[in-house]
Amino acid sequence: MENNTEQESTLTREQSLQLITSMISKAKNEFFDTGVSALLWGSVITFCALVTFANCWLNWPALQYVWFLTIAAVVPQVVIGIREGRERRYKSHEGDLIGGIWIAFSISIFIFSYVASTYSFSQATSVYLILYSIPTFAIGIGRRFKPMIIGGIACWILAILSTFAHFPYEMLYLAAGSQLAWFIPGLILRKCYLQAKRKHV
Amino acid sequence: MFKDLNPILHSQLRLAVVSLLITVREAEFTYLREKTNATAGNLSVQINKLKEAGYIDVIKSFKDNYPQTICKITPQGVQAFEEYVKDLQAYLNIKK
Repeated sequence: MENNTEQESTLTREQSLQLITSMISKAKNEFFDTGVSALLWGSVITFCALVTFANCWLNWPALQYVWFLTIAAVVPQVVIGIREGRERRYKSHEGDLIGGIWIAFSISIFIFSYVASTYSFSQATSVYLILYSIPTFAIGIGRRFKPMIIGGIACWILAILSTFAHFPYEMLYLAAGSQLAWFIPGLILRKCYLQAKRKHV
Repeated sequence: MFKDLNPILHSQLRLAVVSLLITVREAEFTYLREKTNATAGNLSVQINKLKEAGYIDVIKSFKDNYPQTICKITPQGVQAFEEYVKDLQAYLNIKK
């Protein structure tokens, strides 16, 4: 497209259509998810669930507060969000939609956590797993990203199975859900992102 | 018989820029340059023409002490692009 002024006059209708298609596909193929957020939340939730599970035998009082780590993890998440936003050279409609889904999910999780802890809600794990599945499945479908679709479906299955489990064993379902919904898709996203980055260098 | 194609959009670089901006909501100048493989000078001229036609908004600011140009498609630009594609489709369908 360097000698654009010469080519402008000779652009046929077929070439126009081809150009539109190629530009749209170029913009769509731009990979922008670094996978860091998915890895962060996949690790934090798995860690908290496994520590809660292990604490049934360890009985360390301090470990009862391990879930406060999820509040602390908001800080690196905000830093990651700001840094990724600065590095990104465009804003997409898709990005806005995904951002909206995650914000709605975060608010729902925090409200449910408050309700569950205040009114000692039984089977809270099943509800958490259902909540995990919603953004994971929706984004997986939207992006045609199979690992997230599988992760979302896995969370629904685990939500049903967890109704048959009692504390602390339900924590194992929660750990499995966060691995399948976020950690594993996050690893795959990270790999794809690094590969794409290497290609651009 | 055929409606004339919009001359503002019927140019390789301008059409490429508008096609990109239709897909992404807004983009930096460097992103558009990379995707279109155009020279900075040529791209700048074509962006100005699109801006004058009211098809895109150009926002100039600073990012990390460097000048930054952000291009954003306007509702008028979206409408013009949709009409352009419709005209193209009408022509290609009749030709088939």
